Amino acid sequence: MNCFFTVVGLCLCIFVFCALYRAIFGPGVFNRVAAISAIGTKTLVLLLIFGLLYERVDMFIDISMVYALLNFIGCVAAAKYLESQGGIE
Amino acid sequence: MEVTLLIQATDDAFQVMEKAKTQAVGILDTATRLTSETREIQKRKLRAILKGAHKAQSGFLNFLATFVLLMIFWVLLSGKFDAFHLTLGVLCSLIIAFLSHDLLFANVRVGDIRVIVQRFLAYVPWHVYQIIVSNFHVAYLALSPKMPIDPQIIRYKTKLESDISWVAFANSITLTPGTVTVDIDGNEFVVHALSSKLADDLNAGEMEDRIAHIFMEADHIYIQDVLDVARIFAALK
Amino acid sequence: MIVQSEDIIIRTIARILIPFIQIFALYVIMHGHYSPGGGFQGGVILGASMVLLFLTHGYEESKARMTEKVALLLSSVGVLIYAGIGMLCLILLGNYLDYSRLATILNVDAAHARSLGILGVEIGVGFAVMAVMFSIFFDISTGGFSPEDKDNGV
Repeated sequence: MNCFFTVVGLCLCIFVFCALYRAIFGPGVFNRVAAISAIGTKTLVLLLIFGLLYERVDMFIDISMVYALLNFIGCVAAAKYLESQGGIE
Repeated sequence: MEVTLLIQATDDAFQVMEKAKTQAVGILDTATRLTSETREIQKRKLRAILKGAHKAQSGFLNFLATFVLLMIFWVLLSGKFDAFHLTLGVLCSLIIAFLSHDLLFANVRVGDIRVIVQRFLAYVPWHVYQIIVSNFHVAYLALSPKMPIDPQIIRYKTKLESDISWVAFANSITLTPGTVTVDIDGNEFVVHALSSKLADDLNAGEMEDRIAHIFMEADHIYIQDVLDVARIFAALK
Repeated sequence: MIVQSEDIIIRTIARILIPFIQIFALYVIMHGHYSPGGGFQGGVILGASMVLLFLTHGYEESKARMTEKVALLLSSVGVLIYAGIGMLCLILLGNYLDYSRLATILNVDAAHARSLGILGVEIGVGFAVMAVMFSIFFDISTGGFSPEDKDNGV
């Protein structure tokens, strides 16, 4: 079972690098914001997989919930800023 | 002799028709006045929804329901049932329910919660089935060699009445693959659909009917529909 | 000046989520001895919930719940709680922040007294961190001018 979770975690890391490409080279700022939000979602699942690997899931669930909340609030803040600035740059 | 009777009968018939016509005109006038009042009420309700206004509720019942919900959430998080942690939970839930009790149950009556939760749990399997069907359709569109997509933007006028049902409807549309809620413009949902089959599914209105059924809204007859039927009927006569 | 968000979806979801975020923050503060958390982390989450309210509902609504004066007051109250517990231990003939001396007034044994003392200072830290985070965000976003200051040197 540990082997399965390790493989899943590695696949998620590869997808994080795909999103990172879009975050670096994305033309315009909207692409970058969406990519960072997607990376946050995958980080959340990676934390839970770490919890399963170390067999202390209850501890890592708290951390992932906090990270999900902060990701949401960051996305809302970025969107609000871009809306007021027109998002040209 | 028969001619006189015939003329008499025709005169009576004309008089009856005249009376019926004046009565019908009177009814239509009342109905038009009531319709314009209904339209005013609808406009006011729309403004209230967009402002996020709160229906008048019993504040104490809101506070109690928020306290119970937060306590359940605390126990779920904490998992410890000894007296010290439970007392801490009660204190924290009381403080936060006191500070934010008008945030959670603003537009829903507390007594309706049980019905709404039951109906929502019955709605979820249908929605999951819709997601699976749309998933297959979008996969077929994306993987076929000539990609027969037909992207269109639909302005969908909604009949739902409170902000929670608007949010539930918009989220359901976005969760279904192939349709995305782009904007909510007054009373209309601006939806981007990937093909005409998905657009037809949306315009048929079944999802909106089910969500209105969950939140127990839009279940009365609009007077405008009755008037339209009456006018069509009168024109056909 | 941050105005109310025109998007009804964000406003509704934020107003439903905020009580749950706050109760999660208090859970993190109170269970600092058992799972990851403690005073600072819970204070950050509480501050983030107030920031979310401020972002989505604008200045008017958030002013009804926490003004800038109350934020400054709360930060001082947090530090007062922390230093106050320390002074209390000093008054009870112990060292500064020696929680075992609290056992005499709380009628528990020394280990429990240390645990309760740490919980007390964590609550103080939580108050202070929440108030300071809200205050910093408020100052940066409004540039220091609130609509009530009419004769502020512009």
